[in-house]
Amino acid sequence: MNPLQLLAIILLTPLVSAGVICLFLRRGGYWASAVSVVAAFVIMVLSFVFLIQWDGQTLTGSLTWLQLGQDYSFDLGFLFNHEAATMLAVVAFVGFWIHVFSVGYMDDDKDKGRFFGGLSIFMFSMLGIVLSDNLFMVFVFWELVGFSSYMLIAHYWDKDFAAAASKKAFIVNRIGDFGFLVGIAWAYHYYGTADISQITAQIASGQSGAVTGIGLLLMCGFIGKSAQFPLQVWLTDAMAGPTPVSALIHAATMVAAGIYFMVRVFFLLTPFALEWILWSGAIMTVFAGFCALGQNDIKKTLAYSTLAHLGYMATAIGLGFPGLAIMHMAMHACFKATLFLCSGSVIHACHHEQDMFKMGGLWKKMPVTFIAFLVATLSISAVPFTAGYYSKDTIIAGAWGKFAAGHGDAYAWAFGLTMLGALLTALYMGRMLFVVFFGKPNSEKASHAHESSPWMSVPLVVLGWVLSLGAGWFVYHWGWADGVMNALVPADVAQFMIEGYSHAAPGWEGAHHLFEESGAHWVEYLSIGCIIGGFLFTFFFYGRGPAQDRLQVKAPGLYHVFERHGWFDDIYDFYVTHIQQRFADFVAFIDTAVIGGLVVRGSGAVAGLVGMVSRSLHVGSIHGYVYWFIAGVLLFGAFALGLLR
Amino acid sequence: MSGIGLNAYLFVAGLLFALGFFGVLLRRNTLVIYMCMELMLNAVNLALVAFSRFNRTMDGNIFVFFIITVAAAEVAVGLAIIVALYRKRRTVQVEELNALSN
Repeated sequence: MNPLQLLAIILLTPLVSAGVICLFLRRGGYWASAVSVVAAFVIMVLSFVFLIQWDGQTLTGSLTWLQLGQDYSFDLGFLFNHEAATMLAVVAFVGFWIHVFSVGYMDDDKDKGRFFGGLSIFMFSMLGIVLSDNLFMVFVFWELVGFSSYMLIAHYWDKDFAAAASKKAFIVNRIGDFGFLVGIAWAYHYYGTADISQITAQIASGQSGAVTGIGLLLMCGFIGKSAQFPLQVWLTDAMAGPTPVSALIHAATMVAAGIYFMVRVFFLLTPFALEWILWSGAIMTVFAGFCALGQNDIKKTLAYSTLAHLGYMATAIGLGFPGLAIMHMAMHACFKATLFLCSGSVIHACHHEQDMFKMGGLWKKMPVTFIAFLVATLSISAVPFTAGYYSKDTIIAGAWGKFAAGHGDAYAWAFGLTMLGALLTALYMGRMLFVVFFGKPNSEKASHAHESSPWMSVPLVVLGWVLSLGAGWFVYHWGWADGVMNALVPADVAQFMIEGYSHAAPGWEGAHHLFEESGAHWVEYLSIGCIIGGFLFTFFFYGRGPAQDRLQVKAPGLYHVFERHGWFDDIYDFYVTHIQQRFADFVAFIDTAVIGGLVVRGSGAVAGLVGMVSRSLHVGSIHGYVYWFIAGVLLFGAFALGLLR
Repeated sequence: MSGIGLNAYLFVAGLLFALGFFGVLLRRNTLVIYMCMELMLNAVNLALVAFSRFNRTMDGNIFVFFIITVAAAEVAVGLAIIVALYRKRRTVQVEELNALSN
């Protein structure tokens, strides 16, 4: 079997599963779960078989889908290279474990068929984004992941806030996708092809240059899907969906698809576009970090954390290290999925209570969840030798390295902002950890909590205990403790991961190298200091698991700003209800009065008048007709003879 | 030939045409209206022949032949219609043939 056929099977497996579930198992209960999980398992196995066989060469293959005349054709095909390899591994692996987790989490749900069908549709479209070789196809799958996301956000459709959140996600993404589509059309017009590898070749050979506008427009799609500034408002509301969905779609894969796509079209991005991405990402790390401090809802806090880390990935792209962004995406998928799954486990144990301050003291009752959460917390805070450390710290250090190498002041700002973001990470993660797991149970529900079923705890062990800790070890060839831990990861897998990170030159190694050259070891100490300081502070502040947020008590004004996440929703609300609504009223008036009233009904009225007049002539008497006929003849005759001029 | 000029012919033709014209406008019997139309045709024929005669060309005569041919065909069709109408409605008075009004 050739590799492309294997890729096609990997891509079509979840589609078949989704078809079976949606057509035959809508009311299937656990049968639907079984089909979906088996499909995810097949994807994972085949993906790893494929990756271990893969020789590191870029694979392409396409077939013509539409032929328009001589010059225009739309192709469908695969482009498989290193970043696709990393993303495929992440989607297949994390996706499978989240499927398993879902079986346990959704055990009391009556709509399992719809939920697991949606998950399968999502897996299909996400793999489509990973493998697509041209912009049109990416856009099709882009919309498909969007669809499954909206569908799963609104899984609890009878709750108003879930339906509203789904609508909000849809509308906000329309804005981003519109720019995305315009960018694709522009790229197609400018380069004469939408095939990514062909455009790469054109730019590499100097046949045509990169265009800032195209890069910025394609970035619109990334801003929408990855919920970056200023379209960040939908992601926190999207937490209204079931927790596995939040983990898979709104943390690990779909929101990172924007990053993945930016890496894929990295050659299209001019320095100006890169700087734009750098600023937006760096600001997002801080902004979302502050907002996370003001959330009581455990999932919303994690959603802001996701925003901050997508900001880190965007910063990595802006620094010019796409490989580093891909790496952080992979690490982030591991620990953020873990955090979400832990929160799901906790929520499930507390009978769907999502307020952190109504929990507390859960570490004794749920040890597996607690350890996974602890490891993932350390990992996301970039404690040395955990997975997050290798990517997140390298981003911060890389920003400093860029600045030290004299590339400009923007990098110094990026360094400062990402460093502040790291401090904030430690703060909000520490707050969460202590409030949820320490102290005493603050509600009846929390005191009856117990460890979740194996369906839920096994994925926590795999993703949390193992991967959140060790996913980064094989990146350093020496690993930790002289490579003892390298045995955890098969050498082949380590090989393609390393190549995936360093392939998009200059990737992870480039950033690390730059930093080593600057020789500023205080940066390392500063970031470790930030982490320790953040945890210590939150320990003293929240260590006893209080029933109310002490920040809210001590500084209500500040807390309110965080809670309203900088009034962005209110600003958009004002804009829509006042400015846009007024404009819409005006347009509606133009439509009804001028166009509807004058043009449409006016022309109708003219025709009606003519009809009124001519109707009076047709009275059914032959003499009448003859009379008018003769009158006409006389009139024309008079004209012809020149009597009337 | 002498004494009778073109104007006399044209006068007669105009008179005939006017007769036919007012006949069509004023009479109520379908057959009479029909005969009046033929009268108008023949008035025109007369005028054309007169022009042809006085201009020394054959154009007018050719026109007249055509007109006579077409009129013959028209009579066949028109009379058929009138007869069919009479069989259907048992009347030849035009004001009673008002099925399409209102």
